Amino acid sequence: MTRFMTGLARAMAIIGGLVLTILVIVVCVSVLGRGGDTLAHWDWLEQSMPWLSNAILGLGLGPVPGDFELVEAGIAFAVFSFLPLCQINGGHATVDVFTAQFPRRFTDWLITFWEVVLTALILLITWRLFVGMLDKIDNGETTFILQFPIWWAYAASVIAAVAASLVAIYCAIGRIIEITTHKPVLPNSEGAVH
Amino acid sequence: MSMLELGFWSFPFLLVMIFLRAPIGLAMMLAGIGGIWLALGETNMFMAKLKSETFSTFSSYSLSIIPMFLLMGQFATLSGMSSSLFKAAESWLGHRKGGVAMASVGACAGFGAICGSSLATAATMSRVALPELRRYGYSGGFSTATLAAGGTLGILIPPSVILVIYAILTEQNIAKLFLAAFVPGVLAAIGYMITISIYVRLHPDAAGTREPIPYSERIRALLDVWPVILVFGAVVGGIYLGWFTPTEGAAVGAFGTGLIALVSGNLNWQVFVQSILATAMSTAMIFFIILGAGFYNSFLALTQVPQELASFVVAQGFSPWLVLVLILIFYLVFGCLMDSLSMILLTIPIFFPVISAMDFGLVSLAAMQADAAQAVLASGIPDGLGGDMLDGIKAAIASGAELTREQMDALGIRVTKGMANRAEAEHLAIWFGILVLIVVEVGLITPPVGMNLFIINAMDRETPMGETYRAVLYFVGSDLVRVAILVLFPSITLFVLNL
Repeated sequence: MTRFMTGLARAMAIIGGLVLTILVIVVCVSVLGRGGDTLAHWDWLEQSMPWLSNAILGLGLGPVPGDFELVEAGIAFAVFSFLPLCQINGGHATVDVFTAQFPRRFTDWLITFWEVVLTALILLITWRLFVGMLDKIDNGETTFILQFPIWWAYAASVIAAVAASLVAIYCAIGRIIEITTHKPVLPNSEGAVH
Repeated sequence: MSMLELGFWSFPFLLVMIFLRAPIGLAMMLAGIGGIWLALGETNMFMAKLKSETFSTFSSYSLSIIPMFLLMGQFATLSGMSSSLFKAAESWLGHRKGGVAMASVGACAGFGAICGSSLATAATMSRVALPELRRYGYSGGFSTATLAAGGTLGILIPPSVILVIYAILTEQNIAKLFLAAFVPGVLAAIGYMITISIYVRLHPDAAGTREPIPYSERIRALLDVWPVILVFGAVVGGIYLGWFTPTEGAAVGAFGTGLIALVSGNLNWQVFVQSILATAMSTAMIFFIILGAGFYNSFLALTQVPQELASFVVAQGFSPWLVLVLILIFYLVFGCLMDSLSMILLTIPIFFPVISAMDFGLVSLAAMQADAAQAVLASGIPDGLGGDMLDGIKAAIASGAELTREQMDALGIRVTKGMANRAEAEHLAIWFGILVLIVVEVGLITPPVGMNLFIINAMDRETPMGETYRAVLYFVGSDLVRVAILVLFPSITLFVLNL
């Protein structure tokens, strides 16, 4: 189970990272295309070297249409797919100066408590995101330029959020087992408390 | 309980949750949701909001700059540029007293220009510089402290993830913030080098020496850092000149550093996956806090606490400078407990309205008018401008008085009180942002939770933490001196905006 969940979190993060990398490339292509187009329409170039200007125009350069919308849809998916990794590695920012003074046992209970609350919240977010997606299917909203239905972007995020929910439930149960049986379950149970 | 009281009491409640080790994003989300629930007495509103809030936060175009800058930083650590930068700085400075430590700081500054994160800068530069420092006989605590302080340049010198967040929270222009951060960032590097030279004079046995190397080698080493200059120039220059949006700039930067890493042969599938995983961890952590801050801030806005607090502070008639200094001290103290990003997301929505309500006199209407008038006069005296009128204008400029409507009409310029107020608001926002950026970063090198100290001490197991603590105090002192200078002379930060 631990191996499956760790693998799932890692796989989601890698897929999200690949989407992020593709977005970086799309944006760069868009910037280059727009730059090429501006260059071809540069007065000086049009007058002194019309052949070059026409050659650049002939390439059909221009910004990638709807790059803005692709970034928005893609980045939402990427961030949702990064959540499980952060969750399973206990990567969320905390302040542990004060709890470091408390007995270890008490801190462990606190960590378990917050893990359960966090899981409940992630489930709430996933559920509401799903309902939000149903709304977008109903109203048939599309993006402005590419005209793709907004619910597609929601659907991609819902898939990642479901993965985040699975990992969150696993982490919560794992913490409870750890604290009741004193056996490490989660991959990072040593690193989480320092 | 009134809305205002509810908003006020939410803050200590939130802090207790955070100090009881709740993930900070979660605590802010709970305080926000709970607060809205109590304030409105029903859950329909936030349940409806939640349907689109998470998605719209995560899909924000302006926030997408953050994962891209983080990816850029990850690629930068693989680009091999850290060792080129160190070699270049070391060849010029290494023979001086404390020179290898100064070179480490210089290399950190260079690396900070392509990396927006302090932790990545500290970790990457330590890998290169720590062995060299030890080889030239620099003491353990001094070496680790130098690199911990140098690491903060990663975030002080643009691009900087914290400045991006500040710009989004306060609706300021990212390009102008980056530009304004540059001079204070360079000052930080110079301040650290001065600190090093003071330290080695007080502790002569903390540093070794070596022979100077010939200039031809130095120049060759310097030329090797051209990719850093190219990427930094393209990203920061391109954003500033309006060639592309900040998000596009981050993408160009990520692509550029990725390309350098690929060409240098350091980037294969395995390290690429490592870069992605590191980016994923930081991105998820940051976006989760941003999400929580979004909930908490919409609750605070509902209760009107920030506006009420601002008008309360103004009504007390406190000196603006006193308020500013108190806020900066608050950040210094809190920075010892909490990471800088959480602190900014938590407190800027409360402090920024307070600071914005203050008048620091950063911009003077008369000076703006005089600048505009002189620009007109420099290109020749306009037709129909009488001698009396011209004398009147010149007298007004000389005495620093505001121009009259007639005088401005005669010159064909229009500089109103409203324009001066807008300029004042922008200057104040940028100046405050840079000051906050510096004071929260001090937290990275102050015990007990200075993350840079931990990262570097983990890489140098032989040096006890106590030695690092003792040496790092000198650098904290240098930070405090710099903050004082930047508070007293706002124009050091702001002059670039008027160029």
